[in-house]
Amino acid sequence: MTGRALDNLLRLLGMLMIGGIVCFLLIPIVVTVVMAFDARAYLGPLPPPAYSLRWFRRFFSDDYFLRGLGTSVQLALLSATLSLCVGVATAVALDRGSWRGKEALTSLFLSPLIVPPVVTGFALLLFLSGLGLSNGFARLLCGHIIITVPYTIRSTLAGLSGIDGSLTEAALILGANERSAFWDVTFPLARTGIVCGAIFAFAISMDDVAVSIMLTDANTYTLPVALISSMRANFDLSIAAASVLLMLATLALILVLEKLVGLDRIIGQGVFR
Amino acid sequence: MRSSSRLVIEFRDVAKRFGQTMALAGVTFTVSAGETVSLLGPSGCGKTTTLRLISGFEQPDEGAIEIAGESMRGKRPYQRNVGLLFQHYALFPHMNVAENIAYGLKHRGWPKAEIAGRVSEMLRLVKLQGFESRWPAQMSGGQQQRVALARVLATKPKLVLLDEPLSALDAKLREELRAELKQILASVGSTTIVVTHDQDEAMSLADRVMVMNRGRIEQEGAPDEIYARPRTPFVARFIGRGNWFSGRVSHPPGKAFARLSTSAGTSLWICAADAVAGGDWSACVRPERIALLGPGAKAEKPGDNLLPGQVVEIINLGAEIHYAVDGPEGRLLVVEPNREGPRARRGDRVSLRFRAEDCVVLPYASDA
Repeated sequence: MTGRALDNLLRLLGMLMIGGIVCFLLIPIVVTVVMAFDARAYLGPLPPPAYSLRWFRRFFSDDYFLRGLGTSVQLALLSATLSLCVGVATAVALDRGSWRGKEALTSLFLSPLIVPPVVTGFALLLFLSGLGLSNGFARLLCGHIIITVPYTIRSTLAGLSGIDGSLTEAALILGANERSAFWDVTFPLARTGIVCGAIFAFAISMDDVAVSIMLTDANTYTLPVALISSMRANFDLSIAAASVLLMLATLALILVLEKLVGLDRIIGQGVFR
Repeated sequence: MRSSSRLVIEFRDVAKRFGQTMALAGVTFTVSAGETVSLLGPSGCGKTTTLRLISGFEQPDEGAIEIAGESMRGKRPYQRNVGLLFQHYALFPHMNVAENIAYGLKHRGWPKAEIAGRVSEMLRLVKLQGFESRWPAQMSGGQQQRVALARVLATKPKLVLLDEPLSALDAKLREELRAELKQILASVGSTTIVVTHDQDEAMSLADRVMVMNRGRIEQEGAPDEIYARPRTPFVARFIGRGNWFSGRVSHPPGKAFARLSTSAGTSLWICAADAVAGGDWSACVRPERIALLGPGAKAEKPGDNLLPGQVVEIINLGAEIHYAVDGPEGRLLVVEPNREGPRARRGDRVSLRFRAEDCVVLPYASDA
């Protein structure tokens, strides 16, 4: 009887905690979204008396933001693509067999996750200046590949680790050479992990401030960097509007991901055996 | 001299080491066209290494492997035309049944036009017509293993390797599929090596059994011969069950049989030709060769052995009944078929009778 009461109490506490965390995560986002549609020209208390799209118009008429957005999208697409190629190749090599130093090498490749991004950015700034590379976009690309590669490596490794080694052997003994076996068997089965890695890389690149802020120059800057510097100069709600746009983009990405992963689950129930 | 063109595979003194472990310590054997041979042994005996050497997933450290008269040195798995049926099927989960079976055909260069025909021919062979567009995940274990078999046989490999082909299935299904597997392999006339730790699988599928232990082949022969005439204590222990007696052998003059005297004071008749007098020998008696009789039973013929005992446990397995009988030689196992009529009960005093010919006499081994 008391045991049961205790169980119920604990369950209630658990629910409360989950509810609290959800509120903590969601309320700021909700506030941002509401404020993005605020019709007032100044920053006033919630809730706004009227709604409009003025901050979105303001965002899209501001060259400074648009330029940042353009750079960010180009940079994210390019760095996600390159980081995917590097990450998949690295993960496939790391996944093959077991050899001395494998763990150490894996940790080394994943280390940008542990090094604070500011440190990575600053170190890269010094290093690239030393090399004489002053092109802002090239510098940003280097930085973004470094911070996104761990994500593509890790999620590809996760995808590969679910594949039964005898599947590759089955392909080989049936007459496929190593390359065909990779493209026919390994790649399709690791696809979910690989796609996840690419989407992560894109999102991380779109989102990054700490590394980017070190590597921008006067003409080349990313949207997050533009948002931060405009926030310091004159705080207005076009930042909230930009945030809503970024959220929508992320939501679209998640839906794409869900579609791909969901589809995989339906077809390949045996994938992770 | 055998004609070497009939040999599908030949192993000559093949050795393979993994670090400090000697996985294969000089293995020599041949398999002729149309033969089904099984490699039987406990885990770690080298049978899986042998299979991986034949498939080309490993290369031997010493010795030579030839398939159809051609050296396999440096040959990759896809250059060998060997078929391998995996224990856990290894069907490609992202391909349907037809695509799985067609995979080998595509890579072995079959003309596109013939592939579909061959796929349905193979599905007919394994009795899975109409399953072309099923996904592996939608099929039972038995069905998956049949698809895997169809995929292996589709490309007409020179040699088919079966790796513990039935061990992932439950007992009832295993028996059904075993019979079917045997019939399918015979119908396509394939040369087959079955690798297994399961003696039923080895004995029932193969014409010839090679028992492996510690990287060597301990004994090679027909299933009957392996069971009835094991040549080493290991083989006798590994195949089937046995009751063991050890002692000194003497040859009483004027008798057709020799005498094995154990330290517990029992004397058994054994075949005189099997052992040299004066040495220590072990005798193994299969439990189904022992008759369970009433306490007053007598020897019927010269060479009959009689041991007294008391039934301490009875296990009914349906088809047969296992009796544990305690006597001067410790606990003995007797297996009798489940027949109508009076049966011994727990606590009954009984006599155990077996013939001298039923004693498999082997050199004494301390662990025997």
